Amino acid sequence: MLQLKGISKKLGDFRLKSIILDVQENEYFIILGPTGTGKTVILELIAGMYKPDQGEIYYNKQRIDHLPPEQRKVGFVYQDYALFPHLSVKDNIMYGLRSRKIAKREAKTRFDEITANLKIGHLLGRVPATLSGGEQQRIAIARALITRPDILLLDEPLSALDPNTRGLFQQELRRLHEDMGTTTVHITHDFSEALALGDRIAVMQDGGIVQVGPAIDVFRQPKSLFVAGFVGAVNIFSGFCDNQKISIAPGLEIAAVCKKKGETSISIRPEDILISRETFISSARNSLEGEITEMICQGPLYRITLDCGVLLQSLVSFQSVAEMDLKKGDRVWATFKTTAVNVFY
Amino acid sequence: MVRTNHNRQNTVFSLLVIGFTIILAVFIFSAVGMVILRGLPGLSREILSPEIWSSIKLSLVTSLISTGCCVLYAVPVAYTLSHYSFRGKKMIGTLLSIPLALPPLVSGVALLLLFGTTSWGQALAAHGIKFVFTPLGIILAQFFVNVPYMVKISRTTFDSIDARLEFIARTLGSTRLQAFVSVTIPLSFHGFAAGALITWARALGEFGAVLMLVGATRGKTDILPISLYLNMSTGDLDMALTSATILIIISVVSLFVFEWLGENGASSNKNRI
Repeated sequence: MLQLKGISKKLGDFRLKSIILDVQENEYFIILGPTGTGKTVILELIAGMYKPDQGEIYYNKQRIDHLPPEQRKVGFVYQDYALFPHLSVKDNIMYGLRSRKIAKREAKTRFDEITANLKIGHLLGRVPATLSGGEQQRIAIARALITRPDILLLDEPLSALDPNTRGLFQQELRRLHEDMGTTTVHITHDFSEALALGDRIAVMQDGGIVQVGPAIDVFRQPKSLFVAGFVGAVNIFSGFCDNQKISIAPGLEIAAVCKKKGETSISIRPEDILISRETFISSARNSLEGEITEMICQGPLYRITLDCGVLLQSLVSFQSVAEMDLKKGDRVWATFKTTAVNVFY
Repeated sequence: MVRTNHNRQNTVFSLLVIGFTIILAVFIFSAVGMVILRGLPGLSREILSPEIWSSIKLSLVTSLISTGCCVLYAVPVAYTLSHYSFRGKKMIGTLLSIPLALPPLVSGVALLLLFGTTSWGQALAAHGIKFVFTPLGIILAQFFVNVPYMVKISRTTFDSIDARLEFIARTLGSTRLQAFVSVTIPLSFHGFAAGALITWARALGEFGAVLMLVGATRGKTDILPISLYLNMSTGDLDMALTSATILIIISVVSLFVFEWLGENGASSNKNRI
């Protein structure tokens, strides 16, 4: 549906490198990456602020990269909203309908619908400067959606909001997407946001895309150390891999699904590591003994650090900690399956 | 002991810089005040004299037309310089500012040569478009000297407006022109108004370029500054002071309005998202 084929763009010191993306119809697609990796530029290329130096952009098999922005049918919401400061809220929202010369009656229907949907009826007479961040955000989204764009482009839409508003608005975005089904490309540097909203995620590093996939796959199986670090992975180790075993410290081997032979890195999700007082027989192939060196309470979970030759983190529920009576200095067993070990290639 | 010494040094320094400021303010105020003081008593009497009255009319008409031309011409030029990037843009920007750096007399000579001696200028004159020694020349001289100011002010105004606003307008279906008219122009209004005002005040006072191009002919090209010059050279101090007073009043009022527009523009920019 929306396809970027080898898009490159140089802007000042910054380079976007041969971006390939394929966004499906009605998909909520997230581009995730640290600040300064060129995420906004991708959106601006899709919307037509710049022409790509190389590559092509297609929408429904029709090439659009040479079209001016007004002929592309995209809705754009900037991080800082970019509302028209000289127009009232109502005129901001109506702007697109007027410039696209939508008939009065149709315009009225759409306007009533979108203002009700976003609950902004009480703001219509105000000017943008008098609105809070969350309110401006709603107006910017209403202004973009009222034109019924083929693609909605959201540039870090939640990052300028305070934490409470952000949580609420995240749900709101999800609901809007379910309601209207607009194909959405949303960029962010916040992985939890990506996980909560995205059908699929593309991770960017240094102007290029390094991994694309369903949100949960990127989270559970990051393909590189960079992605692992970015999605908040812990328990990252390097070692030599041979015969499905990776030696990560002298005398310490981890069984994993790993076909290659040679140096590699792995990550193990802390929630996949089971903690027990005694060792037990199970299908899990990895069982390490270690001493608890740290216990940090994180709401309903404890983050426990074990020293088993390397430092291993595990998440254990509050109840389990109480039942096993775990304390710092205790010796316990850590057990996990080979499939819990994510190998980077 | 050392501390006291420092304190004294600091006080002396403060007094010194503040003293400079006060002296300059007093100097300017007394020079300008002197003209107004001497000119005001005669103002009500002389302002209705046919000579001054026709000068005022000629000044107003030529300066208003030249200001209008400056605005109409400078806005697209400033927009080009602010929004488009192309090779040699910096060069063109500098080139367009040349009249700012030139002594107005030289600008006048340049215009006189271009329109008085070239075949192109003569062709224009043959078709009735005469700039040399005519009121039309006054407008041209004022335009030439002032249009770079208007370009500069408009460009600063355009630069201060977030370019993404026009881009957003275009994603919402506007063409370049529609986005310009519906977004950029309204947001630039304060800047344009301030620019036009200062351009107009400068046009009213323009002397050197006008003198070179159209000469100083009583009853034909005697705008207020020329009239002032003619009256001074014939020793008619009262008439001269009247022109000077009118010019001062217009300048000072324009300056205050300009500052006010600037502040209001700035505060509305501050509210901008």
